[in-house]
Amino acid sequence: MAGIGIVIAILVTLVAVLIPWLPTSASEQMDRIEFVYWFATVICIAVFALVMAVLLYSVMAFRSPPEDESDGPPIHGNTGLEIAWTVVPAILVIAIGVLSAFVLSKNGEAGPNPLNVKVFAQQFAWRFVYPDDGGLKSGELVLPLDRTVKFEMESADVIHSFWIPDMGQKQDLVPGITTSIIVTPTRTGMFSLVCTELCGVGHATMRATVRVLSQDDFAAWVKERKSGGGKPNAGAAIFAGAGCGGCHTFTPAGSNGEIGPGLDDIVSVAQKAGRDPAEFVREAIVEPGKVITPGYQDGVMPPNYGETLSPEEIDALVAYVTGAKK
Amino acid sequence: MSVIEHTSHDAGHGSGAPPNRRNILMRPGFVRAAWCFALFFLVGLYLVAGIRWLAGWDPVYDWNIIVLVGGLTLAPIGFLLGLGSFDYWLYWISGRPTIPDDHANHGAHTWKDYFKVNTDHKVIGVQYLVTTFIFFTLGGLMAMLFRAELAQPGMQFMDNQTYNGLVSMHAALMIFVFIIPAFAGLANFAVPLMLGAPDMAFPRLNALSFWFLPIAGTMFLCSFLAPGGAFATGWTSYAPLASEQPIGQIFFNMGVQWAGASSILTALNFLVTIITMRAPGMTFWRMPLLVWANFTTSLLVVIATPFIAGSQFFVMFDRIMHTSFFVPADGGYVLGYQHIFWFYSHPAVYIMILPGFGIISEIISVMSRKPIFGYRLMAMSLLGILVLGFSVWAHHMFVAGMADWLRVPMMISTLLIAVPTGVKVFSWLATLWEGRIKLNTPMLFSLGFISMFVIGGLSGIYLASVPITIHASDTYFIVAHIHYVLFGGSVLTVFAGIYYWFPKMTGRMYNERLGKLHFWLTFISFNLTFFPMHWVGLVGMPRRVADYSDRFADLNLFVTISSFALGASVVVFFYNMIVSWARGPIAESNPWRAMTLEWQVSSPPPIFNFDEIPQVVGGPYEYGVPGARHAILTGGGTPAAKEAHA
Amino acid sequence: MSAHAEALHGGDHHGPPPANQSSRIAPTILGMFLFIGTEAMLFGSFFAAYFFVRVVNPDAPSTWPPAPNEFPQFVAGINTAILVTSSFTMHWALQSIKRNNRRGLQAGLLLTILMGTAFLLTQFIEYAHIGFNTSDGAFASVFFGLTGLHGAHVLVGLLLLTFAANRAFRGHYSPEHHHGVELPGIYWHFVDVMWIVVYVTVYLI
Repeated sequence: MAGIGIVIAILVTLVAVLIPWLPTSASEQMDRIEFVYWFATVICIAVFALVMAVLLYSVMAFRSPPEDESDGPPIHGNTGLEIAWTVVPAILVIAIGVLSAFVLSKNGEAGPNPLNVKVFAQQFAWRFVYPDDGGLKSGELVLPLDRTVKFEMESADVIHSFWIPDMGQKQDLVPGITTSIIVTPTRTGMFSLVCTELCGVGHATMRATVRVLSQDDFAAWVKERKSGGGKPNAGAAIFAGAGCGGCHTFTPAGSNGEIGPGLDDIVSVAQKAGRDPAEFVREAIVEPGKVITPGYQDGVMPPNYGETLSPEEIDALVAYVTGAKK
Repeated sequence: MSVIEHTSHDAGHGSGAPPNRRNILMRPGFVRAAWCFALFFLVGLYLVAGIRWLAGWDPVYDWNIIVLVGGLTLAPIGFLLGLGSFDYWLYWISGRPTIPDDHANHGAHTWKDYFKVNTDHKVIGVQYLVTTFIFFTLGGLMAMLFRAELAQPGMQFMDNQTYNGLVSMHAALMIFVFIIPAFAGLANFAVPLMLGAPDMAFPRLNALSFWFLPIAGTMFLCSFLAPGGAFATGWTSYAPLASEQPIGQIFFNMGVQWAGASSILTALNFLVTIITMRAPGMTFWRMPLLVWANFTTSLLVVIATPFIAGSQFFVMFDRIMHTSFFVPADGGYVLGYQHIFWFYSHPAVYIMILPGFGIISEIISVMSRKPIFGYRLMAMSLLGILVLGFSVWAHHMFVAGMADWLRVPMMISTLLIAVPTGVKVFSWLATLWEGRIKLNTPMLFSLGFISMFVIGGLSGIYLASVPITIHASDTYFIVAHIHYVLFGGSVLTVFAGIYYWFPKMTGRMYNERLGKLHFWLTFISFNLTFFPMHWVGLVGMPRRVADYSDRFADLNLFVTISSFALGASVVVFFYNMIVSWARGPIAESNPWRAMTLEWQVSSPPPIFNFDEIPQVVGGPYEYGVPGARHAILTGGGTPAAKEAHA
Repeated sequence: MSAHAEALHGGDHHGPPPANQSSRIAPTILGMFLFIGTEAMLFGSFFAAYFFVRVVNPDAPSTWPPAPNEFPQFVAGINTAILVTSSFTMHWALQSIKRNNRRGLQAGLLLTILMGTAFLLTQFIEYAHIGFNTSDGAFASVFFGLTGLHGAHVLVGLLLLTFAANRAFRGHYSPEHHHGVELPGIYWHFVDVMWIVVYVTVYLI
């Protein structure tokens, strides 16, 4: 039986080690989560191997043909064994619990100088605001490497949930209360932020890009976005800040979202429909449900850009999307 | 079919149903049910419209409210009235002398009796199982539909709302009108027999709570016809999303009320039966573990189920009466919904597995020919799960934004629940040890259950740990976990129980080879379907999405194909059940040589179970103890007496 | 309502064997207590909603109810007195039939029904004059939720009592067999006790 147990343990260990079960960690918090994960895995492999070994061995060794009418030995129990398998699992799970509680409190520490980022979610878009950098707005989440970030999150309508799989941390955004979460990115690159709480018809499409930059690049990005927020490229800044690129492909903005219709040929689409392009685009922003491009769904684009953006911002955005020079 | 057997056993018992001279519109049945349904709907319609007209509200015909009051509340009551569920009580409350009970509604003499309000717990048990398996089939077909959509990234067959609707419907059908009531069906059949009782304590209430069930299931399904489509908020139906969805949502809210009422009344019935109707000598420590399991489950149901009723009421009030329970702008508190919902729905997980534990304990002991190892600890561990089960609800809310201090205590109590559960697993293993193991279909399903449930339990350990849950919650890891627990756990025990009691229920034997084929097909395709979901979840695929990132495409295609195989494996089961029920070989009264009381009477059991209540003299699992007996039976119900009679 | 064992005529050859009575408590009474347990939990879920809105909620109002709304404590207090009195008349009805006093049973039931109806009417008038309605904020939601749930229970209790009274006037019940009075009575006492809890938590605290 021990042999069966060892074989099973080795097989399960191979499955546990050879398959990359977790994404490559991109944050300090994920590193700690991985540690708890492996700690629990070792215990679970042992328990699983033990159970399966006893089960398989019993079936092989004690199987009896249907015509055998004899009964097994009348063993009603064994107090020592029963105490053992109550106490030992209790100790094991409490060990997991203590480690988890420790990691949980570590993962909740913001440190002395966190970068504050405010997250706003609504059906079905993310917006980010950097209060430390003069209230800079962005539709894409850009984070500096190796600096602890404290997210303060609010939802405008229903419950959403903030998750960057490679960074491990997750937190719901609940209307009426502000929730927060701590992430310290440790790897530069592109990641994706997904909503994990069913939030309605566009839930599957509620994603945003996350870019982790070195601290210098981050500073440069902030500087560029701040100056870019001035007159000449106002439309571009709003396009980025309102998160349009998350869903729409638009070459001038370098976006390649595929959730909503592409905007590169929007002028010709409007002309084909016999509409003034500027008026057509404005209507699509303020009343997205009025004209639905075939192949796309109603109800996915937030209907309230008419309220969240000022009339001047909408003018600039329309000009930017229709390619009008200003 | 077996029912004919049944009649021949019991010729003279209760066959004196008076020739019914009332015309077809007035006598209890589906015709009367149909017009009562329509009538009550109209009453609801004009009640709502009348009140609104008197109060001067606009519009007079508010269809949200009319559907709720007329369609989902009064019309089903009319249906039940027409079917005859209330006839006896109406007689009683009107003060007329109640009809001396002629047992006309007791027992099944033809297959038609299964479509009536029947007060026989054995008939009700079969009614439950057949009904729940119809919903199981529909829920499974829906799963295959949305798996087809998930075979590739992007959208192929359906839009997002339809997809969300199918996912929600799948879960609602499987949880509320398949697993919970399927266990109630098995227990309905077995528990009174095991206790040595002639029936449940309240047979008419038992019949009524069964008939709530097709109403609940049909109500869920009817939401597909509602404008805006079926409810699409998942089976958890979180506020505030649920209060702003199309009208299909109230079909879920009300369906849950009907299903919940059904399980509360059944649980109450079980508790009273177990407490007040045990045979002489049947002390609590001599009850079979299935009875213990249903006792514990029923306590959970009675205590917890009102909370889901409350949570669904609040969501409906927010929609219909414009209250603000979950509207933060008006002083509502959104997380309140989740606390109240999970205060039921976590214990509901145990409601969905404890009866399965009971079934497995019966089968493992009988098929290993050994007493159950540590009987008392087995019963105590059920009570341990009951108590701990009420202190862990918030582990569903580790990322929900609830108070931080709640996390660690909830994690510890959740982890501790692994201890009584582990005790059960180890005791089953010790029961196997040195037994004389008969590897037949019920036993295969039981062993399959243990191995799958251990995987589901271990992934539960991961999920109890808050840091891991923060990463894994709301991903496919959860989907994998819940299916290992509810399919690998509960559904395999339902199959095990059905095979085990099939000869007792029908009087015929199922086909053993088909049974084994069913097991291996299910076992393999189940693992192929759900095991990869652990991985896609951990690396980043959220649940409840119709569209996903391209990097998960290959594995999702594989899962989809496996899920079709899993669906196909059920066909073997249905074929075996239907053909064996109609033409299978006649079963012996005790094919497994079991000691519990239900096997000491004929198969199927006599219409009133026992001619005389048996005397219990020992424990239920005394296999291998020389000369040990569980009970002494006298009277015509026993096989011995039957042979003498013949 | 009535237990199977009770409804069946024991000695009949064609009937089931009489079930063994394995507990001293009658099945119907135990069933009613369990039902009350589950009802109490239903109230519990409404109290939980109240607790979340008023205590846990970070935006909970500082005064209860939030100004300028007011709950009519005095009228509800009188209503409380009516309902509590009706518990005594209910008890009197039950004691009467135990002593084979049919007049007392009938009078007790009628008085109880009368007071229950008066309570419901008062509650209804209170709703009409209270000055806010269900859509006026979460405090109103829990107010109407709890009092409405309780009102529905009063209505059910009144129905049960009416059934019992109907049977009482038709000559049913005897000192030996009076579960049909005892069960609605237990339910009625539960409704009363529940009202005191609702009154204290919603109106007074």
